[in-house]
Amino acid sequence: MAERPNSMLSLRGLTRRFGGLTAVDAIDLDLAKGELVSIIGPNGAGKTTLFNLVTGLDRPDAGTVSFEGQDVTGLSPERIATEGIARTFQLGRVFGNLSVMDNVLIGAHTRLRAVKPAVPVIGPLLELGLALLRPASVKAEEERLREEMKAILARFGERLLSRIDQPAYSLSYANRRRVEIARALALKPRLLLLDEPTAGMNPTETAEMQALVAELKAEGLTILLIEHKLEMVMRLSDRVIVMDEGKKIAEGPGEQVRSDPKVIEAYLGHGLATKQESAA
Amino acid sequence: MSSWLDYTINGLIVGNVYALVAVGLALIFGVSRLINFAQGSIYLVGAYIGWVAVVQLHTPLPLTIIVVAVAAAVVGLIIERFGLRPLQNSVRIAPLLATIGISFVLDQLVMLTFSPNPRALPSQLPDIRFQVGGGTIGPLDLLIAGVGLTSALLLFVFLRYTKLGWAVRATAQDRDAAMQMGVDVNRVNQAVFGIAAALGGVSGLLVGMYYNQIDTAMSLQATLKGVVAEVVGGAGNVPGAVIGSLLLGLVESYGVAMLGTSYRNLFAFLLLVVVLVLRPNGLFVSARQAPPEPLTGTFIAPSRPVHIPRWALLVAVAGFAILPLFPVSFYVLQTLINAWLLGMLALSLTLVAGTMGQVSLGHAALLAIGAYTSALLSLTLAVPVGLAVIGGGLMSAALGTLLISPSFRLRGHYVSIATLAIGEIVALVILNWESVTRGPIGISGIPPLSLFGYDLIGPTSIYWFSLAVMVVLALLQGRLLTSHLGRSFRAIRDDDIAARAYGLGLNRYKSLAFIFGGFAAGISGGIAAHLYSYINHETFNTQQSILALTVVILGGLGNVVGAILGSVALVGLPEVFRIAAEYRILIYGIVLLLLVRFRPQGLLGTV
Amino acid sequence: MSNPIGTRIADLINTEWMEREMSNIDRRSLVKGSLATMMAGAAFSRAAFAQSSEPILLGVSGPLTGPNAQYGTQWKQGFDLALDEIQAAGGINGRKLAYQFEDSQSDPRQSVAIAQKFVSDPRIVMELGDFSSPASMAASPIYQRGGLVQFGFTNSHPDFTKGGDFMWSTSVSQADEQPLLASYAVKRLGLKKLAVLHLNTDWGRTSRDYFVKAAKEYGAEIAVTEGYIAEERDFRSTLVRVRDANPDGLILISYYSDGALIARQARQVGLKQTMCAASSVYSPKFLELGGEAVENVHLGTRYFPEDPRPEVKKFIAGFKAKYGGQEPDAFNAYSYDAMNMAAAVLKIGGTDRRAIRDAFAKVKDVSSVIFGQATFDVESRRVKGAMNAELVVRKGQFALWDGKPT
Repeated sequence: MAERPNSMLSLRGLTRRFGGLTAVDAIDLDLAKGELVSIIGPNGAGKTTLFNLVTGLDRPDAGTVSFEGQDVTGLSPERIATEGIARTFQLGRVFGNLSVMDNVLIGAHTRLRAVKPAVPVIGPLLELGLALLRPASVKAEEERLREEMKAILARFGERLLSRIDQPAYSLSYANRRRVEIARALALKPRLLLLDEPTAGMNPTETAEMQALVAELKAEGLTILLIEHKLEMVMRLSDRVIVMDEGKKIAEGPGEQVRSDPKVIEAYLGHGLATKQESAA
Repeated sequence: MSSWLDYTINGLIVGNVYALVAVGLALIFGVSRLINFAQGSIYLVGAYIGWVAVVQLHTPLPLTIIVVAVAAAVVGLIIERFGLRPLQNSVRIAPLLATIGISFVLDQLVMLTFSPNPRALPSQLPDIRFQVGGGTIGPLDLLIAGVGLTSALLLFVFLRYTKLGWAVRATAQDRDAAMQMGVDVNRVNQAVFGIAAALGGVSGLLVGMYYNQIDTAMSLQATLKGVVAEVVGGAGNVPGAVIGSLLLGLVESYGVAMLGTSYRNLFAFLLLVVVLVLRPNGLFVSARQAPPEPLTGTFIAPSRPVHIPRWALLVAVAGFAILPLFPVSFYVLQTLINAWLLGMLALSLTLVAGTMGQVSLGHAALLAIGAYTSALLSLTLAVPVGLAVIGGGLMSAALGTLLISPSFRLRGHYVSIATLAIGEIVALVILNWESVTRGPIGISGIPPLSLFGYDLIGPTSIYWFSLAVMVVLALLQGRLLTSHLGRSFRAIRDDDIAARAYGLGLNRYKSLAFIFGGFAAGISGGIAAHLYSYINHETFNTQQSILALTVVILGGLGNVVGAILGSVALVGLPEVFRIAAEYRILIYGIVLLLLVRFRPQGLLGTV
Repeated sequence: MSNPIGTRIADLINTEWMEREMSNIDRRSLVKGSLATMMAGAAFSRAAFAQSSEPILLGVSGPLTGPNAQYGTQWKQGFDLALDEIQAAGGINGRKLAYQFEDSQSDPRQSVAIAQKFVSDPRIVMELGDFSSPASMAASPIYQRGGLVQFGFTNSHPDFTKGGDFMWSTSVSQADEQPLLASYAVKRLGLKKLAVLHLNTDWGRTSRDYFVKAAKEYGAEIAVTEGYIAEERDFRSTLVRVRDANPDGLILISYYSDGALIARQARQVGLKQTMCAASSVYSPKFLELGGEAVENVHLGTRYFPEDPRPEVKKFIAGFKAKYGGQEPDAFNAYSYDAMNMAAAVLKIGGTDRRAIRDAFAKVKDVSSVIFGQATFDVESRRVKGAMNAELVVRKGQFALWDGKPT
């Protein structure tokens, strides 16, 4: 499969094995700029592992990841973040003792000027020096970022803005997920990976989240989404990819994938038909 | 050639001795993910109960063993019930600190009961020697090996094939799930502590008989070697602990063979660091296992720090600054100088342990590096003292960070153990690198503190100087914490995986924390060197590291004001308890335990 | 407890008096420590104490807890015995003598605080201790500047008395002691090729260097030297190294506990060479801990049980009587001598701190277990000419060596 010319993210033959289990098995995937692609599949299908491989938290045993034409396979997560890839986590990973504002500011970390110099030894020392001396430019940058973060948090209405100085551990579950998404947006990502953003949310909250993702898509953000709620997937996705036991078993527009016998088999075969029905 | 056989045999013999402690530690770690620093104290208690039985009551050996095992088990149960169980839901570091406090108390109780003089604990076995290689072994060697192996085997069988053993393993795997499945976790913990303590007591007895000598200083050393052996074998792995112990014994013995006796512990601690870096889960745990610590947020509990208004801090600083103008005795000033010096160390440690989450147990090494650098700069290169102290800070920042960097990839308790080992290594290098450090003779005649050509020799001027330095360091640290770096450090502490996904490289930020912290600690060491005029390898010891950690936890992890408050408290309390003479460390230990019990997040709370 | 009734009663009275007095001091220092020192500590009047009926007070800084606690307790035994005798003989020019023991854990941080405490307490006329070199020498600058004598009686570190003219020591200089041990081993026992095992502390290291130098001068060869840390308990591998160096004698520069361990394990690994130990192993504990393995170990000491010198007889008899038949050891003797020396100095110098310093240069021929007659060398501020006796362990007892080979 040749790389598509306008592809932002390309995975080729991406494979990850854990002992005898192949969690991700020779996955090919292309994502064009501005596209929203959803990955669905039963639990344990390898979706989150795929995210980990793309973001560098795990290294593939075979295959490549390229982002905007550049090979990023096996790069460290901190390096990949500087490329403009942001993600959220399936179980939610906010920084519990940090305030909402600080959580979101961490998202903007790669954009800080103090962080930029990549020279070994000198770079980090400069960063330390700038943090202590805090010249006007650093202060101005921090102020500007804080205003920008407030704008990002405002996407969630008063929910987060009113709790901006509270530690994240004191937030409700849904609010923590929102903080995670705000943190990802703070990176100004070119590619956003959302891992089950509505997990554990009630229908109202889910609807709000769906509206937000639609808004992001409308703004032109490229998004890779893992989601169990099929209705949301159908509404939002340009394309849907179905994974089962590490393999890609179907790909295409939502309606087409939905009626694919292999997909139904995969869900039924895993005893998850009820879930599909209720979600549909 | 025959000598190598002898070295091997000797290594195995002493490895046997280590195994007895390591197995108990492994069992406890396996279930509660806790390094029980009180295990050495139970070993001590066992040895002295054995002494009473053998020397006073003339019990035969089998009865002695039973008496010691039962008595030690009771001590273990008491520790579990009153020392650790109340801490189940508090910060993960709290039980660790509690075991340190318990070991203080137990050691002191034994010392007060039996006096600190060493005692002979005669072996009750016939004195037959078997020729092996060039040396001989006796029945006790065989008994110790037998007890070590049998207990490991019995524990293995117990864990695999009994109902309670299953419960223990289930609890070790997933405590909450085990509880939901109806496992009585408290009973499991009791069983484990009882067994481990019985084993610890019997090992104290046997080792005491082996050397025909018991004394109150044997506890810390036993814990240290036991921890090394246990971690080498894979923390929580009972058969691994035995193999780790034998390996440790062999490495030490071969180390002595190659370079001489004074390098022995250097080999032991290097082995530990190498194993931790290459196989953080120990030699006998497969690499694909789940990470040794939960990934998120449990090591440092969420808490809300106590807010202290700025004016109150200003008033406090001003109050301390004008204190020498009042007729205060020099003793009080000197005690506060000690508090300010400890405060600088605590600032350093609260940054790396509290803000960054790297709980270092080897922080005294940073003091030592700063002290030696400053002393040598001023003595041999005639650098002015003020500059030499800064040089000490810089050296400590650079060298300390470099030395501690192997521990950056570790998490949780493993960081503590690795830094403990690195601290010991620094002390041993100072002892052995005679051409530079003058070895055990130490460095004397270090010039007094001076600033711009004026000697600071009176307690008042030293007081002002150290207070000023500490306040400046505290202000800098406060500034650091409000910058993007403070935020980044705390993010890495709370969740290093999420932090990396947002571009925070662990090595970079952990290095920066240690550079900043190393500077503060190095300055503290440098000032101390000029204050004392004499330092050697014992001046900055493990007790200092443990004290600093206690201060940090007492004040609240990451809390700048808390670190200083904790320093004043922990320097001041033992001085206040002075009237209690021999009892003061006992009282101090009890106060510590109460603090951990009732305020585990520290006086001022985690930042 | 077999001493005559008269002495017993005197003892009782003395002890009771001492206890009462000490508890008074304690209570006072409690108040001082918490309140008075905080507010008005510096405003003491020295004159108030000049003609006081209160005892003359010495400060002692030493370990009562921590890893060296055993030495602090041994000090106390020696001090208390000496004090009994001093009070019975009328005290210091009619005033009683007492000491205030502050626990330093042999930690320099605590010893400097104690130093300031003593220096700023006008009742303290002189300080004794500390035990370890780091703790003692860290406090020296404070004593020197504060003008209070620091009398370190176990401080063999060659630089201790270089701290200033307020530092005095009756610790036997290793420059004096080690040649005696070397002479015993090389000249008297005829050992030619030596293995030296030493405690790797400032004391052990200094001692080793002096020993090696002297032994070579006497014509012996040093096959191997091994330094070990104080916490070490296992010496088997060290002893294999020693065996492979093929010496004809082992020299132990050890304290009694590690010395006993080495002797036991030497026999276990099959070493049968003559062993010769420094005087610091001289303790009944050495025999108790070493058992049969220390039989025939040679050692140089400053005194021994059958010593005919009257001061030794008095010391040993008094010690056994006071402590239920217990034999005194080297550290008991050091502290006993130190208290007697302090008394002798105070008798000349009175209670003025500077006069006391000057009195150290004036005292002559003070009766001493270690030195026989002790007189300070004003240059080095140490005492030269320690007594020497060559002992050997025979049938589980220390005995004067009869010149027979072992």
